[in-house]
Amino acid sequence: MLITLFIIVTIGFMVIRLMPGNTMYADDPDMSAAQIEVLRAKYHLDKPVPVQYVIFLRGLLLEGDWGTSISLYVGVPVWDVLKAKIPVSMYNNIVSLMISLPLGILSGVIAAIRKNTIVDYATSFAVVIFISVPSFIFATLLQYFAAFKWRLFPIIYDASATGAGKLHSLLLPILALSFSPIARVTRYLRAELAETINSDFMLLARTKGLTETQATLRHGIRNSLVPLANVVIPMFTHIMSGSLVIERIFSIPGMGGLMVSSINAPDYPLTLAILIFYSLVSLVTVLVVDLAYGVIDPRIRIGGRNIE
Amino acid sequence: MSKVYAPDDPQFADLGPERFVLTQLDDSILDAKFETKPIGFFKDAAIRFSKSRVSIIALIVIAIVLAMAIVGPNMNEYGYNDQNMDYINLPPKIPAFAKSGIFAGTRVLLNRRVDALGDTSRYPEGCIVHKSNYQVINGVELCDVTVDYYKYSGVDDDVYFMFGTDYLGRDLWTRVWRGARISLVIAFVSVILNSTIGLIYGSIAGYYGGSIDMVMMRITEIINAMPTVVVVTLFILYFGNGLLSIIMALVVQNWIGTARMIRAQFYRFKNSEYVLAARTLGVGDRTLMSRHILPNSIGPIITRTMVAIPSAIFTESFLAYIGLGIRAPESSIGVLLSEGQKVLMHYPEQTLFPALLISVLMIAFNMLSNGLRDAFDPTQRGA
Repeated sequence: MLITLFIIVTIGFMVIRLMPGNTMYADDPDMSAAQIEVLRAKYHLDKPVPVQYVIFLRGLLLEGDWGTSISLYVGVPVWDVLKAKIPVSMYNNIVSLMISLPLGILSGVIAAIRKNTIVDYATSFAVVIFISVPSFIFATLLQYFAAFKWRLFPIIYDASATGAGKLHSLLLPILALSFSPIARVTRYLRAELAETINSDFMLLARTKGLTETQATLRHGIRNSLVPLANVVIPMFTHIMSGSLVIERIFSIPGMGGLMVSSINAPDYPLTLAILIFYSLVSLVTVLVVDLAYGVIDPRIRIGGRNIE
Repeated sequence: MSKVYAPDDPQFADLGPERFVLTQLDDSILDAKFETKPIGFFKDAAIRFSKSRVSIIALIVIAIVLAMAIVGPNMNEYGYNDQNMDYINLPPKIPAFAKSGIFAGTRVLLNRRVDALGDTSRYPEGCIVHKSNYQVINGVELCDVTVDYYKYSGVDDDVYFMFGTDYLGRDLWTRVWRGARISLVIAFVSVILNSTIGLIYGSIAGYYGGSIDMVMMRITEIINAMPTVVVVTLFILYFGNGLLSIIMALVVQNWIGTARMIRAQFYRFKNSEYVLAARTLGVGDRTLMSRHILPNSIGPIITRTMVAIPSAIFTESFLAYIGLGIRAPESSIGVLLSEGQKVLMHYPEQTLFPALLISVLMIAFNMLSNGLRDAFDPTQRGA
């Protein structure tokens, strides 16, 4: 994992520094040649790229120094910029995941128990729609109707709000982000549970006198939740990339807007830091999946030990 | 007493050939021919596919969109980048629907002064269709006016735009279908490239196995470990946001899924008897791969391809939305959506058509891929 991270950092750094037309400050008419020289020297831009890379890595590893923003927030350390933006994005993503999990599990269970009834068909239909239609379409719809037409929610994010007001102004983006994860969890759980219901231990549970619903709730779900970890945790990465657009639509000052504006500015130290942040999150997710397997289902851990 | 043959039994003494009679001489008793035709793999799948009504509808919808993407941009005289400052932000107007109220080219203007309504320099003759919601605020009488926006803007009667126009007076009908064309081209080309690369890579890894397989799979793991957003961003940063670089950005990671699937199929079939038989007969590696093992995975390949298309369309519009994809004045579904988003509050119809198009396309492709999966592999039905 560390090797992968190192490769990503290296490739990211090289790509960003070797970009065609990357002559920073060179064409600024307001500065004299001497000033440009000083600035370029300050950010080590006058040195060869490998040397810049070593300087960057040394600063990052030894002092936790991510560099300094050079055009978007001039002079502000990159880490300070990120520190302000990450919580906003994370709040959205985590709340969205918190909403989608119980709702998805609930509707998946209902669809599985009432299999081949009108409830099941309606759920399947909704699932197809929510999985197919992109999250930014939902965001646009919600923004137009719920916020603009019916005036239930603020149209864009209200940065001054706190507590319940913050949730209120973030509810629409969170909703738009949640539709697709809910549908995914529902579809997965329905398929899993439909298979589990036909297994022998479920027959036994019903034989000893439990009703179908009781048997499903007490014995069926637990077995279906194990493979769900495999779907849910990568979903976090999915939600995160979806929130890039959603943040833009609702003017939320999060990572998404920052990434785009840092690319367009261009502000290379910032872009690099954001890319590293996204890589880090997705690598951690993969790690969590691997670890979660052992915790949720001990059979996997024991099985692994035996093979060794 | 049973009649058991014994050589010394007198009743069997005169057994000559003349005492034997052939019971059947008239007709031959070969196996009866099948009365029905044998059904091949594809025919079987086609029968199952055509039984699913949803898949057929999805197929028809996709066919219509494809046809419109081909002919749509040329159906009227406006080009996709013909700007006309006289025709800015016109609502959709279709002559056939003019009476019905929708697509009639009308728009509601809120809170207009009642005393100014007679002013023909602001409200040209006959443009006011309906007045409602009278109210008095600070002594000024206000009302909501429904106007024929074409007359209101001073556009000739015989001019009409079926999907309206955007902020530069460009015809949205042309732009929507051209956008669909661009998005579909990106999706199809990238998916074809994905499948081809994945197919070759996966076949080699799966067929040879061992250390070759291990090295090849390790490479895919490293590529796959990088987050998609980062890879696509870096790719477009470096190669610019032309059509080709977006297609390539969609290929960088997406071939891995196909490669893994093909590899698994090869592992399943490469040790089966028919492959052994073919190898014993002296069939070479390449022929074994392409003629004997690969055809077994054609079903999953097609299904995967169909799943990949909507996700490519999604990624393209996603990129355009965050400003990394196709750029104006070129049109794509994502470009139209992000342009419409800017004027959503005032002119929602400019977002409506691209949003509808992408939703319908995505749903249709997902339905189609579900149908294909069920058709090729009935055991997975409903999963």
